[in-house]
Amino acid sequence: MALVQPPSNDRKRVKVYELKNNDWFDRGTGFCRGVFVNDEAKILVASEDDPSRQLLETKISKDDGYQKQQDTLIVWTEQNGTDMALSFQEPEGCGSIWDFVNDMQSRLQERAAQDDGLSDDIGDNVSPIMLPQPELHNLHEIENHMRAANSTPAGREALAKFVLSNNYVPKLIPLVEMAEDLESAPDLHRLCSIMKMLILLNDTAIIEYMVTDDVVLGVVGALEYDPDFPLHKANHRQYLSDESKFKEVVKIQDENIKRKIHYTYRLQYLKDVVLARILDDPTFSVLNSLIFFHQVDIVQHLQVNQPFLKELFGIFGPAEQNLQRKKDAVLFIQQCTSIAKSLQTQSRAQLYQNFINNGLLDVIQYALKHQDASVRVAGTDILVSLIDHDALMVRSYIFKAIQEKSKPLTDTLIELLLIEVDLGVKSQMADAIKILLDPHANSASIEALGRANGDFLAKIRGQLSPLAQTDTFIQNFYDESARKLFQPFKDLDGRESMDDLTIQQINLYIHLVEVLCFFIRQHSFRSKYFILSEGLAARVAQLMECPEKHLKLTALKYFRSCIGLHDETHNRQIIQHQLFEPILKILFDNISRDNLLNSACLELFEFIKRENIKILVQHLVETYREKLQTITYVDTFQNIILRYDQMHEPVTTQELEASFTSVDSDTPVRQQQQGMVNGGKWGVGLKEPDADEEAYFNGSDDEDELAGVKPVNGASPVRPLVNYPDDDEGEDDVDDLAAAAPSVLPQSIPANTEAQGSPDASKSPPERLSEKRRREDDEDDELLLSISSSGTKRRASVNSNSSAGSLKSLRRRSPNIAPVKDNGGGPKKMSLSIPLKSGGEGANGE
Amino acid sequence: MSIGGSDLDRAITQLRACRPIPENQVRELCYKARELLIEEGNVVGVDAPVTICGDIHGQFHDLMELFRVGGDVPDTNYLFMGDFVDRGFYSLESFLLLLCLKVRYPDRITLIRGNHESRQITTVYGFYDECLRKYGSANVWRYCCEVFDYLALGALVSGAATALEPTDGPIADNVTVDLPDPEQDIEIETLNANGEVMFRYARNGDSQSSATSQGNSNAASSSPVGPTPSRSGAAGTGATSSVNGSARNDTGAILCVHGGLSPLIDSIDKIRLLDRKQEVPHEGAMCDLLWSDPDEIDGWGLSPRGAGFLFGADIVKCFNYKNDLSLIARAHQLVMEGFKEMFDSTIVTVWSAPNYCYRCGNVAAILELGEDGSNAGFVRRSNGDRAGGGRGWILGSNAGPNGTSNEENRRLSSVLGESMQRPRDGPGRRYRVFEAAPQDSRGMPAKKPVADYFL
Repeated sequence: MALVQPPSNDRKRVKVYELKNNDWFDRGTGFCRGVFVNDEAKILVASEDDPSRQLLETKISKDDGYQKQQDTLIVWTEQNGTDMALSFQEPEGCGSIWDFVNDMQSRLQERAAQDDGLSDDIGDNVSPIMLPQPELHNLHEIENHMRAANSTPAGREALAKFVLSNNYVPKLIPLVEMAEDLESAPDLHRLCSIMKMLILLNDTAIIEYMVTDDVVLGVVGALEYDPDFPLHKANHRQYLSDESKFKEVVKIQDENIKRKIHYTYRLQYLKDVVLARILDDPTFSVLNSLIFFHQVDIVQHLQVNQPFLKELFGIFGPAEQNLQRKKDAVLFIQQCTSIAKSLQTQSRAQLYQNFINNGLLDVIQYALKHQDASVRVAGTDILVSLIDHDALMVRSYIFKAIQEKSKPLTDTLIELLLIEVDLGVKSQMADAIKILLDPHANSASIEALGRANGDFLAKIRGQLSPLAQTDTFIQNFYDESARKLFQPFKDLDGRESMDDLTIQQINLYIHLVEVLCFFIRQHSFRSKYFILSEGLAARVAQLMECPEKHLKLTALKYFRSCIGLHDETHNRQIIQHQLFEPILKILFDNISRDNLLNSACLELFEFIKRENIKILVQHLVETYREKLQTITYVDTFQNIILRYDQMHEPVTTQELEASFTSVDSDTPVRQQQQGMVNGGKWGVGLKEPDADEEAYFNGSDDEDELAGVKPVNGASPVRPLVNYPDDDEGEDDVDDLAAAAPSVLPQSIPANTEAQGSPDASKSPPERLSEKRRREDDEDDELLLSISSSGTKRRASVNSNSSAGSLKSLRRRSPNIAPVKDNGGGPKKMSLSIPLKSGGEGANGE
Repeated sequence: MSIGGSDLDRAITQLRACRPIPENQVRELCYKARELLIEEGNVVGVDAPVTICGDIHGQFHDLMELFRVGGDVPDTNYLFMGDFVDRGFYSLESFLLLLCLKVRYPDRITLIRGNHESRQITTVYGFYDECLRKYGSANVWRYCCEVFDYLALGALVSGAATALEPTDGPIADNVTVDLPDPEQDIEIETLNANGEVMFRYARNGDSQSSATSQGNSNAASSSPVGPTPSRSGAAGTGATSSVNGSARNDTGAILCVHGGLSPLIDSIDKIRLLDRKQEVPHEGAMCDLLWSDPDEIDGWGLSPRGAGFLFGADIVKCFNYKNDLSLIARAHQLVMEGFKEMFDSTIVTVWSAPNYCYRCGNVAAILELGEDGSNAGFVRRSNGDRAGGGRGWILGSNAGPNGTSNEENRRLSSVLGESMQRPRDGPGRRYRVFEAAPQDSRGMPAKKPVADYFL
């Protein structure tokens, strides 16, 4: 006990609450600390105003159900039955007190387990309870006694004490068989209820005892007769006593560990099967933590046990002939790694290191090539866990393999993905490739690890900094492996018909397109030039010709992702290869059919319209104007044409006047804009790498937007080319207003088009209006900035309704909606939701 | 290994017995379902008659009870509003059975997506673990999640009758009978699991004659079980109708969606512009449709769920008016009585998982919408070509999707400047309320244990 560190008692400011008449009564604010004196752990809160006054002094007992809620709240029930709560100012303070409580409780429990049956010093305020010696005839009485005791916390504690100290559970067990012999259903049901109540006392010691070899069958036997299902009997005993379910790949010498493995399994069985329907949250978490601690012990024991590991990994050596044993060994390792996911980083790192030293990577290679799909699944599963744990480490091993001229794991994965026939394994392999090449893969935990274990990691990583290492890795991938991975795309070149793809091919293409989508988002410029030099965009477009609609859809999504990046190179590539051709074909094939392909196409064009991607608008209208004009069942295409026309509208006299008389800022803007329009055709972007690379190293997704400010990308210096908010506004306004009164329409034209000359100028003094608008825009840009700086990765989501855009549209809509007399959902309420939405991120629960 | 025709029927038989089908059959099934679902719009058109169901949550035996109470597929048309999986112990069997029925009778059953039909949520709330337990790998979970991405986001029921044909079923025992005049149109009827009438409500708001269930007379205030304040308040606005037994085709369409409305969606056509084939995002219109809840507030509010919004009566009424809807049916929230009408019967929550999580003690309900006589003979596939018949949808106009676009347009534009007129008459609504499946009909609900263990 002396080892226990009380939490560092820096001042943890806290409010003390007591539940009185269903209301939380504030007992005052003070500073909280945990102390350990005279063998008792206590939480003390001294008043803030008068430090000599104690607001709270409570003894931590081993059975009290302390709960941590949110980050700053600890709630429990005092021995006298009062509900109490501590509300901390800081989550850290709460965390440290919480750790203290847990620590003390587990120690008290350990101690209680040690001197079980010896001590019967029940707390002074708990009146001891006595149950009669169980017989079949008094079960009724016992059940009632227990039920009564069960209703108060003190009673529950006393009951738990009694049951443990009097060895009560084993006394109940023989009654099950007696009642079965007598075929006495009521007795069996009572025994079941009693057993349930004992478990739901939520006493760790009782539950642990119940899964021991001596009593477990009796316990689950009683639980087979659930009074809620009087006509049914479960077969738990049969299930648990069947020894064949435990597979011991390598003999586990330590009896204690072996026992723990069985206990863990029984606890899981209790949790998942026997009690699944009746578990309350506290018991659920007690079971879970028991399972967890057992698993930690087991894994810890195994991973430092060298003889064991030797034998385990030796199974994959040439000496072992038993294929089933090899398979089992893979599954065993898979189970270890999946348990390891819940371990702390340090111990997990140790486990993996020990495994790797013994040849884990060879095992993965073995498993991935195994003829049995379930082993391949296990193999990819282990691999994904490993990459999740430390991608840098895996990459460094791949480097090593490359240097040693042996086949790196990446290539193995790629080859296997290309030939894999099991579609489930295939998608798992595609996932593994993605994670391996994800530059953002769990760098946080890696850094933590690096600090703790610096020397060692530096050694295996060959002194490369993580960032540089990842970068080199990805570069290496594009130099060496990417071509292999995407070879199937190249194979499409010159293929005459897309009608005869096999299911395997279709599946492969879907995965490849999805991987490619991932790459264009994650490795911007490398993937871009790879795609450019390999001409992949045209190949992906070719996939849209196939009859399988889900493949069409996936290919379409690739182009949607490209366009979503607001990247000139991608856009120009699409234009250059006329890749809207197949997209429009899908659209026309599905026109006025209300289906998924139709919606996906419309969403793509809506996006172009809303974001007003000029280069695409121009291309679309100049190439397909007549076609687009025929699509009238949505207004998207009319609006795209409108945007184009506005872009190219001849400068009216009035507009000229306006710009001459107005502040000079307008004129250069227009010239810039037109320069852009003309320059839209320039070059093939040879100069671009610099800008892109810069953007790449700046890293953040949001910065595409900033990149737009650079003249090199063809936008005016005043306004970014890519302009969500206004365009969003434009869309909403056009929709709303078009339906109502066409005469109002010009107002809806976004400010930046207006700067080039909009009919709006005719309606009111132009310079003032445009100034005003610009001011509005500036304000809104600030709003947008503050939103995007809050860190949502807008570009990461394929969904076009980014939060900032939507907020903006809500806000900007309000002044415009008024003349339409939109009832009900009025403007004020719309704007109300702005702060709300930004707060409501991250879905949790149901 | 194809799963067509008799194979499919065999799979249905096996799943009805609550036995999972082999992995390769699941894969085939999911591919077949994908082919069908890809042809459905984000908002599926559905014709009355149809029975609308809420959350199932893997309570397989209760789903069987639902079919017993509501009629079997394909005799009854069903529309399930999502949340097939998670929580209960038979998510897999429940979802696969529904999917089998969808593939077998595509026009008879419509499935739309709930917030639990998502990779992220299912890994936390049970479906993932269940697949892992039952198949030993996550493959089946992957196939199912792929199908989730194709599920429609909503459905639009048209052709529902404003008045119910009175059930000739007996009156439930504990009900004091004071049924409305048979001459009157019946707007609402509540039946118990045995088809006995527990409650009946006439459309004419003046004669509030109704059967009052003794057991339920003081149940949830806004559930129309007994004449509650909300119903009385509705007299003269919602429930009072200018038509009385004459024009039965006057009801607007009914929008069915799992969660509710979104501030980004002011018309149903906007829903059709979403690319739904993706994991449910954390924000945006698609997220809101699956996550939002109605609430007694004005306008929009922050949802305690952390996704979606709360929306008030004004939002619902405005949306219904603008889109020519008479009712929004949604699920997503546990209601102890199985269903709950709110906001003058402009929105209803339907919940179809009795004794939720095997311990909540609630009853479940399904909502039957009758067929409007004037629509008789009009047969439309539930998916596929919607062109022709004036059923194409027109964006940017406020055309009602029920084929009366021209007339509606005129009417709408003429009233656009005026204050909002009375809402559309709601459809006749028959709620069948049922309890958890009787225990004898099923084994004890339990999870299947992991077979082998190494550790």
